[in-house]
Amino acid sequence: MSIALDRHVYPFTAIVGQESMKLALILNAVVPTIGGVLIRGEKGTGKSTAVRALARLLPEHNVVEGCHFGCDPDDREALCADCRSRLKAAGVLPSHQRRMRVIELPINASEDRVVGTIDIEAALRAGARRFEPGVLAEANRNILYVDEVNLLDDHLVDVLLDAAAMGVNVVEREGVSFSHPARFILIGTMNPEEGELRPQLLDRFGLCVDVEGIRDPDERVLIAERDAAFKRGDHEFVNEFAAADHNLSRALGEAIAAVKNVRISAGQARLISSICVEADVLGHRADVVIDHAARALAAYRRHISPTREDIYDAATLALAHRARQPINRDHEETSSPQSGEGQEGSKPTDTQAGEPQPSDSDAPAETTAEESSSASDGGQQSAGSDQGMTTGGSSGHESAPEATETFNLRRIDLPRQRRVRKQGGKRSASQTPDRRGRYVRAAPKAKVNDLAIDATVRAAAPMQKDRGRLPGERLKLERPDLRQKVRERKIGNLIVFVVDASASMDAEQRMAATKGAILSLLQDAYVRRDRVAVVIFKNRTAEVVLRPTSSVSLARRRLEKLSVGGTTPLTHGLMAGYKVVKTELLRDPTIRPLLVLISDGRGNISMFKEEPLVEAQKVAGMIDAEEIDALVIDSARDYSHLPSVQHLARVAPMYQTYAINACADLAERMGARYYGLYDLSRDEIASAVERELGRAR
Amino acid sequence: MAIDRYSYPFTAIVGQEEMKLALVLNAINPSIGGVLIRGEKGTGKSTAVRALAHLLPDQQVVDGCHFGCHPEDPEDWCADCRDRAQSGDLPVTTRRMRVVELPINASEDRVVGTIDLEAALKEGSRRFEPGVLAEANRNILYVDEVNLLDDHIVDVLLDAAAMGVNTVEREGVSVSHPSRFILVGTMNPEEGELRPQLLDRFGLCVDVEGIRDLDQRVAIVEKRSDWEDDPHKFVRDHADDEQDVRSHIAEAIATLPEVDLPREILRLIAQISIALEVDGHRSDLVCARAAQAKAAFDSAEQVKTTHVGWVAEMVFAHRVHSVPFGKGGPNLAEVIARMIGQG
Repeated sequence: MSIALDRHVYPFTAIVGQESMKLALILNAVVPTIGGVLIRGEKGTGKSTAVRALARLLPEHNVVEGCHFGCDPDDREALCADCRSRLKAAGVLPSHQRRMRVIELPINASEDRVVGTIDIEAALRAGARRFEPGVLAEANRNILYVDEVNLLDDHLVDVLLDAAAMGVNVVEREGVSFSHPARFILIGTMNPEEGELRPQLLDRFGLCVDVEGIRDPDERVLIAERDAAFKRGDHEFVNEFAAADHNLSRALGEAIAAVKNVRISAGQARLISSICVEADVLGHRADVVIDHAARALAAYRRHISPTREDIYDAATLALAHRARQPINRDHEETSSPQSGEGQEGSKPTDTQAGEPQPSDSDAPAETTAEESSSASDGGQQSAGSDQGMTTGGSSGHESAPEATETFNLRRIDLPRQRRVRKQGGKRSASQTPDRRGRYVRAAPKAKVNDLAIDATVRAAAPMQKDRGRLPGERLKLERPDLRQKVRERKIGNLIVFVVDASASMDAEQRMAATKGAILSLLQDAYVRRDRVAVVIFKNRTAEVVLRPTSSVSLARRRLEKLSVGGTTPLTHGLMAGYKVVKTELLRDPTIRPLLVLISDGRGNISMFKEEPLVEAQKVAGMIDAEEIDALVIDSARDYSHLPSVQHLARVAPMYQTYAINACADLAERMGARYYGLYDLSRDEIASAVERELGRAR
Repeated sequence: MAIDRYSYPFTAIVGQEEMKLALVLNAINPSIGGVLIRGEKGTGKSTAVRALAHLLPDQQVVDGCHFGCHPEDPEDWCADCRDRAQSGDLPVTTRRMRVVELPINASEDRVVGTIDLEAALKEGSRRFEPGVLAEANRNILYVDEVNLLDDHIVDVLLDAAAMGVNTVEREGVSVSHPSRFILVGTMNPEEGELRPQLLDRFGLCVDVEGIRDLDQRVAIVEKRSDWEDDPHKFVRDHADDEQDVRSHIAEAIATLPEVDLPREILRLIAQISIALEVDGHRSDLVCARAAQAKAAFDSAEQVKTTHVGWVAEMVFAHRVHSVPFGKGGPNLAEVIARMIGQG
């Protein structure tokens, strides 16, 4: 399936900078059990280019002739069933050398093609249920590459996780029961802007690198020049880098041969474990990965035993997505006796042979400092995401000093924060009853209206012989053969803000914080498919100032000039918000709306000629009855429990409303969660909404 | 040539010079990576894209190939052409580059291709029926209202655009075929934003607005009514202009590889990227290619600062991070003007 589009494959060694990324890829080629690499980074930094370029450097290995799974003739344990029976019959397996390959998994692949399925032709001809291998079969002993891995459908992620965990692909579908080896090096690239990876899948990647754009003008010029030369097919360029690629490929081959002899001393093993403890990682996968990566690195750098540098470099790559605490090399050197030991053991090799790649040895000290700082960065990122629902606490802690600064725009743009918040809103694909969305698999159904032809044919194929179909005749289909397409589509949330714009002490601040929160929620709208609507109430009426939209620019324009002042027509506001929700639900019943009320809860304008507070309570009851998810954010300080207020209410009935927490009461009637946030800030509102969406699901 | 609503001549479009230039530059150098046209309804976005088709160069294709493979580019051949080439020479035909439209309600199977229904039901065989991405190979892929495209279709587009290959592993078929296209999209930003990942895939981006100049507005209406009165005559009247631009483009395509791209220019471009704090390096590459194409179109032998000036806004407009309420952040026009002036 891999087309040799060689003219379009950029040479690996011509990639400027991005040393960590290149190193991580190379290490995996040396020791496949490292477990792959995840490359995260902004768009246009050469992530995919590097992976595709790697294919040309990969070593050759021995494969059994004619085996679908490319079994290793020398690894009797891991042979597929076919090879095993061949070995039994013939006593020996014919084999040949083949270059390791990069197999691409397109993110819209259907499950049957990934795991393999029934061989239709065999089924038609002989009525036999034979297995036809899929992508996982091809990937065995090769590299499985998923571009934009964070966009992979959940059901495919499950399949990958299963196979990666066991090294075996077990297929039980369409009457086929089969299992075959599926050990692959998983390489994924992703742009975190588009959404996060499931933690389980994240942990599967042995190494992780974060790439960034290069800021040095000279290097950027070099990138552009090389790109132009490559596009032109410039001979000098092609020759130079073909030779460089060839050299690197040879160094790789030598490293593979040498890695068996790399020894790790007890002291070094201790150092690795102590780094993992310092980084506060979960589980023990990190230790194993660092061990493998350090061996690979030592072999690649021609050390007999890993140096302290090798171990820390390996750790940096292995911990980028696992560390929950930053690691510090220098500090470790002085304080830990074990690490000194480790270094002792490897010292003699330090002075041996230079680096195969000069670019690595040029400035080890410099790159180290840079790398460890990026590691600590990553550490905090995953610290947030690992904690899941409790992230509110950690982000609260982060933003605490700025709680008074209600409109800090820079803050929310930090990717780290975005990542943290994303954990709260777990809104992913939902199965859709209509014909929209991606066809993910097929299932039998009583009434089929969206026929899955491939699955139907597969179901019918083995029966053809029994049904008396002659060759050349059309397929004999029967009702039980029919399969329906199961489709999934990402469904976003509709967040309807109902905001009190009446003149109270905090009105200006409340408005500014709300605007900020809405815009920050919309910043990510493309990831979450969210839409936001805004209802404002003041004076005698409520107004829908922003119809449901995902457009940041539109929201910005509509929200820019909103004024505050006047009385509090709370009922009007709630009714208007309720109507927006109902209308949108009519339009698309699959959406999940969330109504967010931001107010002090003290309505003073009547809509239905009743006591304003009682009216509001009734509308709250309606919202609860319709099972609309809601959230109430109290913008007033709660004095209701103070003895003086309680006393005042008893003696003067007009102050009675101050003796109950009106907002909390409304929230209860709505079946909503209540947040008392007197010091409103955009971050607090946004994270409250995020938490709510996570819960609401 | 039959006259239909797609025949409105490119050269008869009044104003909107940026948009026209962006389209022409892509025709000269497809590796610029397409153009996104943002703007209100009724500003001639779609008309311009369709009109561009008449100015596109002729190209050689393998006769009968679903993907329009290039007969002299064996590395890029589809599996079918490879097989056919084994048993003798490939038949060659010439055709004009085309504008292939991707309707926003297109289903995924129509876009990437699917299992051939008839063959499946008749013989139970799994033949691949090519989709829009096959047709778009070596052509222009035009998506009107690209911001309304379903997510999973966008994913597919991104994949194909990134690799130049459409890999299909679904519905029982396993195929991959070349799919290199110039992506042209139009959108009205009020309807929602585009995903940044897709945004970045567009080499250039132009914002069009309704023309405020009275004379030009009158000219638009006049041309339109001339066109409606007698489209044949209208096309005839513009035939010379069209031919001019067409041969100009053809010349630029021929001379493009020889246009010198000095290091100072690349440096200037890198500095603009750094000053504007854009993500990644795609902007540098696109800017260099676009400036080179502009130089070729102007029959210049070397890329000059002015050429960068012509294209810089189109390259960076959609890559600068937007900041809510316009606070902070580098100002696009200002930075470009400063850098260009300095260089």
